[in-house]
Amino acid sequence: MADLKYAFYTGCSAKGVAPELYESTKLVAEKLGMELIELDAASCCGAGAVQEKDEFLALTINARNLALAEELGLDLLTICNTCTVMLRETKFKLDNDPELKAAVNDVLKEVGLEYKGTSEVTHFLWEIIDGVGLDTLRSMVIRPLREFNIAPFYGCHIIRPPYLIGYEDPDNPKSIEMIIEALGGNPTDHEARLACCGFHSFWSAEEKVTLRLTANDAESAKEAQADFMVTPCPLCHTQLDAMQEEAEERIGTHIGMPILHLPQLIGLALGFKPHELGLQKHVVTPEKVIKAFS
Amino acid sequence: METFKLKVFRYDPTKDSQPYYQTYELPVEKGMTVLAALFKAKEEQDPSISFRYNCRAAICGSCAMRINGHATLACKVQVTHLLEKYNTDTITVDPIGNVKPLKDLIYDMDWLIDKLKKVKPWFIPKEAPPKDGKEYRQSPEDHNKIDFASDCILCASCMSDCNALKVNKDFLGPMVHSKAYRFAADTRDGAKRERLEAVLEDVNLEWCVRCWECTTRCPKEVQPYENIIRLRIMAAEEGYKTPGEIHAEIFEQDILNRGLLNEMLLPMRQEGIFGAIKRAPFGIKMMFKGKVNYADFFGGHKVKRLEEIKVIYEKAQEKKKEIHIKLPQIMGVIYEDKRKTAKRANFAETGGNK
Repeated sequence: MADLKYAFYTGCSAKGVAPELYESTKLVAEKLGMELIELDAASCCGAGAVQEKDEFLALTINARNLALAEELGLDLLTICNTCTVMLRETKFKLDNDPELKAAVNDVLKEVGLEYKGTSEVTHFLWEIIDGVGLDTLRSMVIRPLREFNIAPFYGCHIIRPPYLIGYEDPDNPKSIEMIIEALGGNPTDHEARLACCGFHSFWSAEEKVTLRLTANDAESAKEAQADFMVTPCPLCHTQLDAMQEEAEERIGTHIGMPILHLPQLIGLALGFKPHELGLQKHVVTPEKVIKAFS
Repeated sequence: METFKLKVFRYDPTKDSQPYYQTYELPVEKGMTVLAALFKAKEEQDPSISFRYNCRAAICGSCAMRINGHATLACKVQVTHLLEKYNTDTITVDPIGNVKPLKDLIYDMDWLIDKLKKVKPWFIPKEAPPKDGKEYRQSPEDHNKIDFASDCILCASCMSDCNALKVNKDFLGPMVHSKAYRFAADTRDGAKRERLEAVLEDVNLEWCVRCWECTTRCPKEVQPYENIIRLRIMAAEEGYKTPGEIHAEIFEQDILNRGLLNEMLLPMRQEGIFGAIKRAPFGIKMMFKGKVNYADFFGGHKVKRLEEIKVIYEKAQEKKKEIHIKLPQIMGVIYEDKRKTAKRANFAETGGNK
């Protein structure tokens, strides 16, 4: 097994509204032999909000985040799609524009840091495949997820835009399906698997866009007879899980589709109990899963 | 594979009550585009298939359609590539999404044109033409701002796959916002304010969900999503106070004061006291589920080395005056990191997409 040591960038959600993501990531990573060195000095990525107010500031703040991983000589591992795209956008812009990189480094110099471009930005999902490996994962499964139909929900920023992400084909990604299959589960093919959850327009178009997308997505998984959805992004998770009831109210239909974080899914197959992985913290309680594993 | 199936969306409202698919078996030919396949089916098997086309060289934008679920130009993608990419023997062709089909792959364009008219997609000069009789000029730096945006061929691939448009047809859409940006950002244009008013009506510009689908679909690398963001930056600079602008300020303040976003106090700060009351039942639900970080109500924890961020905020304000951030060149770019490329063989073996 390769050296699976990463600079761990938690992002805001895992430290705020999705504590179960943080806990389950730590448990599963340790079990799989991944060493996560938490970047406790790293800041928020700006989530696109700061970027549209002050782009240079956003780039500099993220250059600092990347420089913190470079200090450790490690690649930076995220557990959020939006963090991934924002940090990779920063890298893309700085690596392709020497003038901009120099200007950012002029600022970072004031705090004794330098962005060199030596650490890559990767996501937990990708490291399960490229780092741990699916064969290793398969060999560690204690409790196959045989009886479950699982709807993959990628979330936009782990496939789009290809000029920043480029991990797999944005038209037909397969990484989550591959992991579900390695864990013995049945991935469903549903219309919304590559759709958007609506999270990022919540404060400006909650009624007009966001909740309609949320309802669409959860319904699509239900139509495909999925037992639950799984996502690698805590923002998609918050939107689809915590806001699902609000979305149901708008369309006047009960959906009740549970949403799991990717590390929780892996954790179940590796033998962890639902409460260790924080499954009880979901707003839409995954009752079938909790019952099957308790 | 010697043949493949071309599954075509068929609909003639004068005689069909419902759309249906018709499948044509065609030989796989090297270099054959989907448009060429449609021609072959039309010429040799069924002259009634209807579709728009013109240049056959990805310049005119007429043949945009959904191919295996994603919008693109039929003349730009090859059959052999698609069969390999989707690991299938079938190519499914639908009209572009979010529009009303008129017949088969032909859709109603009036709706798009009406939307475009709202942002006046033509040049409105700021001043009288130069006295020397030459054209209106601008510097290369100024032109860089609109370089990509002016490449739009109005094929509407972005409109087809837009997530916001999917659920609300009142959204102006990426093609329209991008066009508004192209003129509003033109240094020779005199109607910036008017164009901003148009895209900010009902804060429509901020209905965009940041899904980046438009930029991914655009066959000309116009970067519609990035143009929406540039338009938002412009609106903020012009002093418009939108929900997005308030949101950005909260993020900016939180990074400065604690490093991470304070999600617990966000609703109150975003929407004020009435917003907080409206969201209280939701908050209680989250507390009940153990999803609330109580410390955040009292400021919460701070990231380490926070003092560095304060210094960066100050210095960045001075530095940004000196720098012009160039638009990214994304033509054909797939930004793969070096380590990933080395490991890609592993991924391919396990059955992923290259």
